[in-house]
Amino acid sequence: MATASLAVAAERLAVLLTGGGRALSDPTNTDLVFEAAIAPRPLARAAAPDEVWAVDGGQALVADARCLQLVVTRAARVRFRDGECVEYEGELQARLVGCGEERAVAADLGLDIRPDAAVDLNLLRDREEWVAVEQCVAEAERGAVVLVDGDLVPDWRIPSRWLKGLLERAAAAGVTLVGVTKRSSLARGGAPLLGQLELEAEAALGPRSMWWTPVARTRPDVDVPGGGAGIQVVAARLDPDARFAFRVDLPGDADAEQVLSALAGLSDDAAFPGYPYPLTVADRLAACPGWLRDEAWLEVEGHFDRVGVPYDVRERAFADRHGLMERF
Amino acid sequence: MESRGRLFGKNVLEGVFRAGPDEDLFLGELLVAVDEATGRRYLFRIVDVTYGSEHREPGWAERVAGTLLADDDRGDDGAHRLYEQARRTYRVATCRCLGYLTPDGLEFRKPKSLPTQFSRVVAPEPADFAFLRTRMGDLPIGNLRSGETVVDFEVGIPGDSLATHVGIFATTGMGKSNLMMVLAGGVMRAQGRYGLLLVDPHGEYRTQLARHPWAAGRLRTYSARALPNTSTLRVGLGELTVDDLRTAYDWSRPQEEALFELERHYSRGGGEGLSWLLEFSTVEDLPGFRDVELSSRVALNTLQVVHRRARRIVELPCVAADAHVSVGSAVLRDLREGKVVLIDVSGLGSTEEVLVASFLTRKVLDEWSAAYLDQPEVHERLPVVAIVLEEAQRVLSANKDKESNVFPRVAREGRKFKVGLCAVTQQPKLLDGELLSQFNTFFILGLADEKDRTILRSSSKQDISALGPEIQTLMPGECLVANLHAPFAVPAKVHLWSQVVRDCPPPPAPRPVVPPNVAALVD
Repeated sequence: MATASLAVAAERLAVLLTGGGRALSDPTNTDLVFEAAIAPRPLARAAAPDEVWAVDGGQALVADARCLQLVVTRAARVRFRDGECVEYEGELQARLVGCGEERAVAADLGLDIRPDAAVDLNLLRDREEWVAVEQCVAEAERGAVVLVDGDLVPDWRIPSRWLKGLLERAAAAGVTLVGVTKRSSLARGGAPLLGQLELEAEAALGPRSMWWTPVARTRPDVDVPGGGAGIQVVAARLDPDARFAFRVDLPGDADAEQVLSALAGLSDDAAFPGYPYPLTVADRLAACPGWLRDEAWLEVEGHFDRVGVPYDVRERAFADRHGLMERF
Repeated sequence: MESRGRLFGKNVLEGVFRAGPDEDLFLGELLVAVDEATGRRYLFRIVDVTYGSEHREPGWAERVAGTLLADDDRGDDGAHRLYEQARRTYRVATCRCLGYLTPDGLEFRKPKSLPTQFSRVVAPEPADFAFLRTRMGDLPIGNLRSGETVVDFEVGIPGDSLATHVGIFATTGMGKSNLMMVLAGGVMRAQGRYGLLLVDPHGEYRTQLARHPWAAGRLRTYSARALPNTSTLRVGLGELTVDDLRTAYDWSRPQEEALFELERHYSRGGGEGLSWLLEFSTVEDLPGFRDVELSSRVALNTLQVVHRRARRIVELPCVAADAHVSVGSAVLRDLREGKVVLIDVSGLGSTEEVLVASFLTRKVLDEWSAAYLDQPEVHERLPVVAIVLEEAQRVLSANKDKESNVFPRVAREGRKFKVGLCAVTQQPKLLDGELLSQFNTFFILGLADEKDRTILRSSSKQDISALGPEIQTLMPGECLVANLHAPFAVPAKVHLWSQVVRDCPPPPAPRPVVPPNVAALVD
């Protein structure tokens, strides 16, 4: 058996990054139908939409007994209007996963998720996010944009028919759903696509250019009534000083350039040039930092005290045995 | 009540509060944290102000500044903005807790407890400073200052604290002379309770102090030069001592021995003090004098140095051979009457100025200590006297602390005799630390040198350890008053002398004296 040496891996990595392959792919989503030609084109900044909503989710593992885990998730919503954000932090959702507990959880998730679906933190967080998106669509005024952190392709356990229904409701309400992905798995020839596009755009359009380009269309099964082709995936650099371009998902029938120009209108925050400002607020709001996890655990322990769970039972269930071993 | 911020952290002695990004906070500003739970009002002094941000990512603020700077460089101002700056950024003020007012507002206590977290921080109200009123004494020097704001509340020191020594420290142009004159004005108005002996080497006070409405009765000026409205400054040789010489001049050990030899030699003639200097200065044949009169016990070159100095001293216009024309007694009389005695020694050299100051200081100390020891009831009625020394480091530095030097003696012993020093210097770091610790009142004006601030920190009677930046940024006329009477170093804006003169009411008319009934004395 050949040795998997670092040198060999590095050599292969170099080939992939510089090999110049043209085949487009997305390892996490095989439903994408890629554009035949991808070439960045200039993007002009337009006025930001009057009303923008942003959604992001957060998660934390509060206690881990390996076979059983206590997890918390939440989705934060932000309404940006007249230069100010109204924040909705989102209620913390605590759930048990493991030892069959997830069955009851799955049955309660809604969103057409199958009761026998495998349940993990990713699904739980995604579920909270999409529930929040649904709420935004319901509350948004006509002409509003609802921004989602990530792509518009929910977790595979959320049926596409549910997303289709949401897109229909959004279209009917005159609301545009937009997904912005900071870390995309889109690839070309085995190398990250967005990095390549950033270099190409800089060469073709100049270092301080704003640009966009269609990349793919996806999921014909979520066709929006009245035309379109599911969801369109584009890449865009939304500010002349943006360090990175992002993957942006839009409804298939949306005027991508128009939506992106408007999106660029609120991506001029000096702290995060090129990233829509409301999403940065939602990101901060949804985060589940260490102190929040600690507070959740304190609350659980308080309950343990009240119902009389012995301390050594808790200790043996949730102690980090790696830590104990390393201590000696 | 407008909120200036919310308290969120630190400990009993320190506080940290958050304020809006545009809240104008100043070093030295006094603010109040209102503890709704206990009803106490905690008084805080800002010692530092920094930026804060909701964003926890490292380098967030630098990144924002970089983006905006790049826009500036391109001439593209406004290309980026900071959305919701008021929400995302803020200011953090670090404060020293000065103490708290009890809920009834009557008592101010040193901090020993924490105000409730997130208490509202507000601007102080006049009532918050009411407790200071009884501690500000009867020698006003200015108004309370909170940061850049001058509060309508007069601050000062008790005149009695002149006996426990006062230090005025500032670099050039920060307002030492103005403060000195304001203090002198306060002494003039104190109805004789205090006396001030002010030795003025630069002649800067004479015309200014004379403008004070009470100067006619309360200011007496002696001058070494012939100047209008002044008495002539004359110091009798017979009243000077070898110790005065040793204080004023730098003598080597052999030179000091020579002085003692000469004093011993001439004392046989019965002369007083340094009256022998006159005769010695006329000696023409120094080698012969040395061999015959001093039996060669003094080296000739040493004797020549002493001789040169003797001639210089006896030729000084302010030195008189006749002890009867000396001003010593007159100065003592003026001080007993609680006057400001200005000794204008402009025109004299620095050493001669110290010679005069040493002489007068010794006279005052001797007189007041004698009264204390022998006539307590007389001493009781004597006013507290302060002797003002400009460039005090010349006589109060560590290497000047000799037994012969009267000034350290005053610093150590003067308090019980009601005689104090008022040391004025630009370089407190040159003062002897042990002597400085005897000073109970500091007026600290702008000081740029860290070493100066350090020595004051270690000697101040109030904790000023966190006030370095504030002292560094004091503007002319702004000062901190640290003494035992106020519970903290009080920030003040010193009155302008011209304003003091303008606002001062005329002195009360002299009490009418009933003419003596001569007829009753005649049988």
